[in-house]
Amino acid sequence: MNTNWQLLADNLPIFIPLILLELILMVTALVHVLRHPHYRFGNRILWVLIVVFIQIIGPILYFVFGRGDERRG
Amino acid sequence: MATLPTMLKKELLETWRTYRFLILAVVVLIFALMSPLIAKLTPDIMKMSFGKTLQLAIPKPTSIDSWTQFYKNMTQMGIFVVAILFGGTMSQELSRGTLVNLVTKGLPRWVVAVSKYISLVVQWSVALTASFLVTWGYTAYYFPDAKTPYIWQGFVPLLLFGFFFLAVILFGSTLANNSYGGLLFTILVVGGLYLVNLFKAAQNYNPISLIGNNMALVQGHKTLGELGPGIAIAIGAGLVLLAGTVILLNRKKL
Repeated sequence: MNTNWQLLADNLPIFIPLILLELILMVTALVHVLRHPHYRFGNRILWVLIVVFIQIIGPILYFVFGRGDERRG
Repeated sequence: MATLPTMLKKELLETWRTYRFLILAVVVLIFALMSPLIAKLTPDIMKMSFGKTLQLAIPKPTSIDSWTQFYKNMTQMGIFVVAILFGGTMSQELSRGTLVNLVTKGLPRWVVAVSKYISLVVQWSVALTASFLVTWGYTAYYFPDAKTPYIWQGFVPLLLFGFFFLAVILFGSTLANNSYGGLLFTILVVGGLYLVNLFKAAQNYNPISLIGNNMALVQGHKTLGELGPGIAIAIGAGLVLLAGTVILLNRKKL
């Protein structure tokens, strides 16, 4: 277990920005899911699960395929 | 001509408000960070999985491993993300009819195509350059060796391939009536180019050579000059595709 912490500490300069970027992606998508009630398919719960649990790919999928038309809100 | 900057501004605003640029930038930056990380962790992961049972002589990771990861990620996942993000760039406007007002008020159609292409190229260049600089910084910090002396030589062909690739996407997006059609066209073109690459005689002239030789270039086993024919064809094909997009759009019913 000790070595694992050592590993994390050694690579902290990479881990911190990496985690931050993934959080930015997730939070942007999550806010969009929650504020826009219309989706091209699926429902809110489905998209929240996808966006939160599938790292990187989830938010991309939402913005490309899931988000509804702006005109309908 | 005066409408081009206005249209370009509209395109850039659109890509910002639809989060496309944000996603592209964040995803390529994630790849950029993961490349040196994976290179650095691979020996540790191997050791953790079978360190006790198997005495493996695992070589220490070098800057070569880091750049290999970078070019592998960018030329596979990176290119694919670009394709799905921008596959609908023209077809969405066509299917929603958002161009009708602008064109009937006198906006030349070529301005639409050219401004879209410029906006795509700008986004790709900014995102790729940023991620390249990030990987460069981390690689220089973690792997201070002299095994990858020609970093810029690997980067330039990838950037140029992107210009060609974006022209393919824009053409496919104009040709098809929905974003999936455009994506399919792009996949077919790239698949076709990989098939052509099986023939040794054609390899030098294939735009695919721009994303297949990056590591050889970075290490100095090859020079940019050897890729000359491939680069010329990629740029030429890109311009032809852009002209084709304008012609297609001129004939298209909005």
